Amino acid sequence: MARMLPAKVERGRLRRRLIALFLDWMSWGYVAYGVMYFLNDYWWRIPLERFYSTLTLPPWGWPAAVLGTLAMAVVCELTGYSLGKRALKLEPKRERPLTREELLRGRAGKPFWRTQWGVMAVLLLALTVALGWHIVKIDPEALIHPSPRAREMLSEIFPPDFRYFRVPDPAFELRGLPYSILDLMVLTIFMALLATVLGAAVALPLSFLGARNIMGFSPVGWLVYGVVRGFFNIFRSIETMLWAVVFAIWIRWGSPLAGIMALTVHTIAALGKLYSEQVEGIDPGPVEAVVAAGGSRAEVIRYAILPQVIPSFWAFTLYRWDINVRMSTVIALVGGGGIGDMLFYYKNEGKWALLGAVVITIVAVVWAMDYLSGRLRERIT
Amino acid sequence: MAEPYLVVEHLTKVYERGHVVALKDVSFEVQKGEFLVIIGLSGSGKSTLLRCINRLIEPTKGRIFIDGVEITKLSPRQMRKFRRKIGMIFQHFNLIKRATVMTNVLTGRLGYNPTWRTLLGLFPRSDRELALKNLERVGLLEKAYVRADELSGGQQQRVGIARALMQQPELLLADEPVSALDPATSHSVMQYIEQMNREDGVTVLASLHFLSLARRYGTRIIALRDGELVFDGLPEEIDDRKFKEIYGEEAEEVEVR
Ligand SMILES: Nc1ncnc2c1ncn2[C@@H]1O[C@H](COP(=O)(O)OP(=O)(O)O)[C@@H](O)[C@H]1O
Ligand SMILES: [Mg+2]
Repeated sequence: MARMLPAKVERGRLRRRLIALFLDWMSWGYVAYGVMYFLNDYWWRIPLERFYSTLTLPPWGWPAAVLGTLAMAVVCELTGYSLGKRALKLEPKRERPLTREELLRGRAGKPFWRTQWGVMAVLLLALTVALGWHIVKIDPEALIHPSPRAREMLSEIFPPDFRYFRVPDPAFELRGLPYSILDLMVLTIFMALLATVLGAAVALPLSFLGARNIMGFSPVGWLVYGVVRGFFNIFRSIETMLWAVVFAIWIRWGSPLAGIMALTVHTIAALGKLYSEQVEGIDPGPVEAVVAAGGSRAEVIRYAILPQVIPSFWAFTLYRWDINVRMSTVIALVGGGGIGDMLFYYKNEGKWALLGAVVITIVAVVWAMDYLSGRLRERIT
Repeated sequence: MAEPYLVVEHLTKVYERGHVVALKDVSFEVQKGEFLVIIGLSGSGKSTLLRCINRLIEPTKGRIFIDGVEITKLSPRQMRKFRRKIGMIFQHFNLIKRATVMTNVLTGRLGYNPTWRTLLGLFPRSDRELALKNLERVGLLEKAYVRADELSGGQQQRVGIARALMQQPELLLADEPVSALDPATSHSVMQYIEQMNREDGVTVLASLHFLSLARRYGTRIIALRDGELVFDGLPEEIDDRKFKEIYGEEAEEVEVR
């Protein structure tokens, strides 16, 4: 019954070995990069032009780096169970059966820190931490001894000044009108709400077009699926704050509409992706049953798929609502409007006591919304 | 002999993924009103065969006629309409778990109602009455508004039967309807299927795991082995030698009472 084609299997294995080799090569490339960085930072203090940046190499440097790391990868590949092989589960063939001792210990052979891949993994991890520390130039002292400005701010922020909670602050004007904290907080909550509702409403139908099991395997199906999934991935990888800049320039700097648009676009892409993954993960049984009873595609979605995915759709939407509330409080920084305008105004003016009142209001509202959506999520699942 | 109700001619199915030949040149005929049991080991192609008959799976080669209609030639749209006549019940019941029993049973009427109505959940009163009648028939009337996943396995399969009854089918495909159930429950479910066959005159094709069940309920048995038809005859014709041919040398027959 099961007639496997050996040639195909072999090709698959070869492909995986090549990917493993590539991974090992990249790992060694990373090690080489790290080594160069430290050499520059510590020993080659004299700013020799050609060694000044890690990626500025002498003419022979690039071929040497590329071939050297490739050679290391090949050596690793040939001499043991390398990290790349481990990542692709290309386990070495076992010459002898496991001994009773090995069976008892529950692991074949050595502990991982004595295997080749284990050493490499630990090395990469250590290198990453060390490199990160030096590239970012972490200075723990600055954390412990705050700047003078921070001391001034801390002494003035308490007690916070709630005088403009309900009454508009005459000094703070947006487009010729003064606003109170409450005015802007309400505006901000509605920005988040609108963005979430609009985003979910658009993401819902799109998510079915981005689900493999709905679109089938026809060329048109593949095309639509690819376009929708590509849209989700690209639009999701552009952060809400960047979208806000785009829309703020497009519409008007500081317009709440820009903030809503930014939140909505990112919500569509993020929820769309999550929704379609849920649709792809459904139990296919009910689908089969509805089709067998003569149901159409729309009926399959209505009766076999929606009941399965609605609870998680709700959970994701509420979770997104949390994110949008938090985002909307600071999106003004990039021209998106909302309470952030007030926040940054007081910060720039150094009115710390008034700033304190805004911050406390934001914290209270975000906390309350978080709690609310958490409780709702509990009830749903 | 009368014109056969179902004709399967040289049916072959190759799954591209995995390069599996699940059915090899299978041919047989079924008369109206028969209770045909399909037996065979796991992986012998029983589910594939049943799903080719209502084209949940597209056959690779071969022709299938139901009631004189060559269904392998129908367009997807025509096929959807044709499926109304073919009820199906499944090994794992395939109910909508989060929906009520009533909703599940009503999905059996999807093929009879315009999509705009079903999308709004508007089933005609006659359909709802039929649903209650069928639920009563399988002894689950008082469970009508209980969520499907709150029922026991045997009850869920009875909901599956009620759903199939909603289609008022001429043909019933049952894919290992009792494999997920214990022996006592199995018989109760099989008896409902037998009742459909005897009283409503529904032609039944059921795959079963146990030969004892096949002997007890089938009027005729076909056997698959690695996708090939290796037996087609009456239940009593399966002797020890035939049994080993179907199930392999090491197999022993077990009883399900
Ligand atoms: N969707 C599928 N894709 C690939 N191979 C499949 C698929 N479904 C079934 N098969 C294979 O086809 C053969 C027959 O399967 P099936 O019809 O489910 O047998 P049975 O119902 O008798 O257990 C098995 O070898 C199985 O692995
Ligand atoms: Mg099966």
